Order: sequence, then structure tokens, then C-alpha cells
Amino acid sequence: MGLLVSAAMVLPLVWMITTSLREPGSVPPRQLEWIPDPAVWSNYPAVFDALPVATMARNSVIIAAIAVPISVLCASWGGFALTQLMPRARRRIVAVTLVAAMIPVTATWVTRFVLFSEIGLIDTWWPLVLPALMGTSPLFALVYFWAFAAIPRDIIDAARLDGASAFRTWATIVFPMVRPTTVAVTMLTFTMHWNNFTDPLIYIQSLDRQTLPFALSALYQLAPTDWPLLMAAAVMLTGPAVVVFLLGQRAFIHNARGEGWLGN
Amino acid sequence: MHTSERTTGHLAGQHGGDIAQPVLVAHDHKLKPSIFRDFAWRGQVILMLLPLLVGMTALIFVPALIGLPLAFTNYNSLDPPKFNGLQNFQDLWNDQVFHLAVRNTLGFIGVAVPLRLLGALAIAMLLHRAMRGIGAMRAAVVLPTVVPDIAWALAWLWIFNPLYGPLNVTLRAVGIEGPAWMLDETGARFAIILMLSWQFGEGFVVCLAALSDIPTAVLDQARIDGAGPWTQFRTITLPLVTPYLLVLAMRDVLFSLHANFVPAKILGQEGGPDYATTYLPMWIYTNGFGYLRLGYAAAMTWVTFLFTVVIVAATFLLVFRRRMDGWTA
Repeated sequence: MGLLVSAAMVLPLVWMITTSLREPGSVPPRQLEWIPDPAVWSNYPAVFDALPVATMARNSVIIAAIAVPISVLCASWGGFALTQLMPRARRRIVAVTLVAAMIPVTATWVTRFVLFSEIGLIDTWWPLVLPALMGTSPLFALVYFWAFAAIPRDIIDAARLDGASAFRTWATIVFPMVRPTTVAVTMLTFTMHWNNFTDPLIYIQSLDRQTLPFALSALYQLAPTDWPLLMAAAVMLTGPAVVVFLLGQRAFIHNARGEGWLGN
Repeated sequence: MHTSERTTGHLAGQHGGDIAQPVLVAHDHKLKPSIFRDFAWRGQVILMLLPLLVGMTALIFVPALIGLPLAFTNYNSLDPPKFNGLQNFQDLWNDQVFHLAVRNTLGFIGVAVPLRLLGALAIAMLLHRAMRGIGAMRAAVVLPTVVPDIAWALAWLWIFNPLYGPLNVTLRAVGIEGPAWMLDETGARFAIILMLSWQFGEGFVVCLAALSDIPTAVLDQARIDGAGPWTQFRTITLPLVTPYLLVLAMRDVLFSLHANFVPAKILGQEGGPDYATTYLPMWIYTNGFGYLRLGYAAAMTWVTFLFTVVIVAATFLLVFRRRMDGWTA
């Protein structure tokens, strides 16, 4: 039963891959096929023909490489700082962060665009990278806060009395203790930046500054019925997200008490 | 948690009793120069908090607040905003598509949220006990959630192809003529709910955690006392996971306020057929970024905001008021 459900869950991805291996321009199948005959790889290199897809892929990698470490750093700093505040201030800031984490993208969409266009940051990567300051989603600062709160207070206080700075305490003692949290947050923030389609759509105008998800929608505009080509591009975009997820999934899913990414 | 001790003596409060004497001596010796250090520590803590606070202020709270005045202007991002009173709201009142978008959004929330929650809970119950290959099965369930929106949308656009799509081909193989999906209003609405019903990884993970918190002894005792699976579920499991389900439901409603944008844009070809998949985000996008009617889009955002405020307030009242201390300590 579990096997059946799991199979159903990945079925759309299987169909994505199957279709990507069909011969370009071949008559669409009339019955279900698992491996097309003949199965060809030629759709994959063809993705790079019409658009500067290689540049866009490179841009996506660069943006993730900038934004993910900053997200993890700022989220874990914020989470640690919260544990060190006085109870009253802490309660307030946690509540504010929670509210920020709940506000849907759509509610700030238009005005965030207005702000960025007023300070002249349209068609730059700033609007894509700046959310990393708040850990990409403020939720991750709270996740770190909950993980750090489970660390015995004596350990932190001992470091503090020994004269370690807050930064040093964070770097040498606290941060290394919550590895599952860091793995999960890294995985999730990577996914959010790598998958981000709407922000580049709104903020980036030049084709050579665009990211890989946009390449997919542009290909769809150019060749709306070339399914083997589109599915090949979809597989190429999905691949890195899936690989990073599989590398980090143990920390994320293995959520028994004491080992999970929430750390408690 | 030991919070009040921190303000007085660092270790003294926690190591009371028999070992207090030697600890206190060492403590006093070290505490002396710490007025400066305490000051420095506090400064560093504030510095560490700064990126989070600046980021949230600049990217969430300020944009949210600017939306209020912007809604009373005529603004196209090229000329400065012109005050136009309640014009935008009058236009909203007469905008049939806006009314439809609100109805579509409510309908979407009403069907998709319960479906995604039930799916998450049911599959978590199926996969929460240890068995062979459980890790792989759980990973498979979360996998669709990490697939990029645009790739997921294009894959489903192909799957829903009425003639050649894998879904209708499969249905035809078992003798059912599938619907026209995206070519048909009801089919399109249903299709978008269906494709988003695959992406409930977050809810699944939370449900797994909630289920692993239920003591097995209680379930064992119930079984010994002759309770069937359904009785166990109704009297033990469901009451214990309900708080989690409530939080998930709130989160999912807010998630629904933007999750259907990419599907509506790609599968619905900008919210079609005949505005059937024009949800609020789609119509805000069309007006704000398509027609550059940013003031009007800001007025529409008020509605999204209203939803948000209600949901956030309800969440705090229902769930957090009781548990807040546990969550912030």
C-alpha cells in the first residue's frame, strides 16, 4: 500500500522523463508507454539551441551560491540572538517574525516591486538575493531559534563567562550542535531560490540576466507543443532540486524526537 | 526554561544546593570584568539579529504598509503616483473579473486545503511506522513538493493534454473517456486543485512528527481493550493531531493565496479558460505587472491582506495563545 502511494506520488515525474526521451517531432503516443521507442537524448542538447539557456543556468547557480549561505547565516544568527534576548523582547520579536513568515507573497508583491523600482534595482539580482537577509523566509530563523532553545543554557553561559564573544559562541559551540537543522534549512532555501520563477519574472528584464526557471517558460512561449523538448528542459531544471533534496532529506524527514531538524 | 536566572547570576542560579560553594567562587572571580563583556555581548546579539529585522522590515512590513496609501493612487511606475481618492475601490466594486477571482480563490481554498490536509495525514499514517524501505517511500512522497513550480506546471499541462496526455491515455485504456481538462471551466479548476494536491510535503512532515509524538502504549492499550482501527483513530489519534492540523490549515490557506499563480499562468494561459482559473494572485499580477495599474493592484492586495489578517489573528487566538509560552521560551 505504501509502495503504491509512493509510486503514484512520483508518477508525474516519471511521465516527465519518459516524454523527454521521445524522438522530436514524432507522432504523440496513442497508448501509454514507459520507455519510448526509440528513446533519444537529443532533446537535452536541443534545449540550449534557441535561448541563452546556459547563461541562465549559470545565473541560477550564482544566485543560489550567494543567497543560500547568507540565508543560513542570517537565519541561524537571528535564531541564536533570539535565545539571548530578555523574555519580553524575545516573545515580541518571535511573534513579529511569525507574522512575517505567515504573510503570503501576494500581499507584498506589488509594493515590493514599487520599492525596488523606486530605488532603481529593477533588472538587477538584488531583489532575488536580498530576501536572504531574513533567511529567505523568516520561518527559518524561528526553526533555528527552536533548535537552539533546546541546547542546555549552561553550555552557552559557560562560553560567555570564559570570555567568548557571541559570534565565537555561535560559531564554535552552538551552530555545530544543530547540524540536522542546518542541513534542512540549506536544502529548503536552495529549493526556494533555485525554483523561484515569479521573482525573476517580475524583476528581471534582460534575457542574459534571467534564471533557469524563466528559460522554461520562455521555451514554452517559443515551442508550445514540442513536449519532448519542454520535458527535457523541465527535467534539467528539476534535477538539481531533486539531488539536493535527496542529499538532505534524512535530516528533513527523519523527524523522530532528538534527531529531527527542529532539534528537540 | 531558565530565563530569569540569566539576568542575575549566570551559573549561580542553576547550580544551587550542595555544590554551590566552589562554583560561586570561580564564578565571582570570572564575573568581575564582565560589565564590559556583558555590554559587548548584548551589542553582538543585537548585531546578529539585525539582518533578520532589517530584512523583514524592508521586504515585508514596509511593503505591506505602503500598500495602504498606494491603493488610493493612480500609479504606473513611470510617472509619480497621483491621488485619486476612492476611484480604485469603485473600480473594484464594478470589476466582474475581480468578483470572480475572489469567488475562485474561496472555492479553491475550500476544496484544496482540506484535500491537501487529508492527503498529508492519511499518507503520514500509512508511512509512520518503521518498515523496509520506509525512508525511500517517505522521500518519494515529499519529492513532488521540491519540484520547481514552472517544471511541475508544464509537466501537468502535458499530463492533462486531452488527446495525448498520459492521464487521459490511461483513462482511455480502462475504458473511460477523460474530461477536456484545461479546455473546460470545471475541468480546469479541478485540474489545478489536482496538480497542487501532489505537493503537500510540508504537511506530511509535520503530520509524521505529530504521529511520532503519540505514545504507542496508549494505542496498544486501546487495542487490548478491543478498540478497532477506526475507534483508535477517532478517539486517540485525531484529537492528538488536531492542534497540528489547525496550524497546517492556517498555513495552507495562506499558501493558497499565492500557490495557484504559476498553475493559473501556465496551465490556464493567464487564468483561463474564460477566467475560470483567474484567482486573486493572477488578477493582481495581470493588473499590476501586465497593465501597470499598480494603484489598482494595491487596492486588490487589500483583499489578500484582509484574508491574511483574519487567518493570522485566528491562528494566534486558536492555537498560540495557549502554547505561546512553550514556543517562545
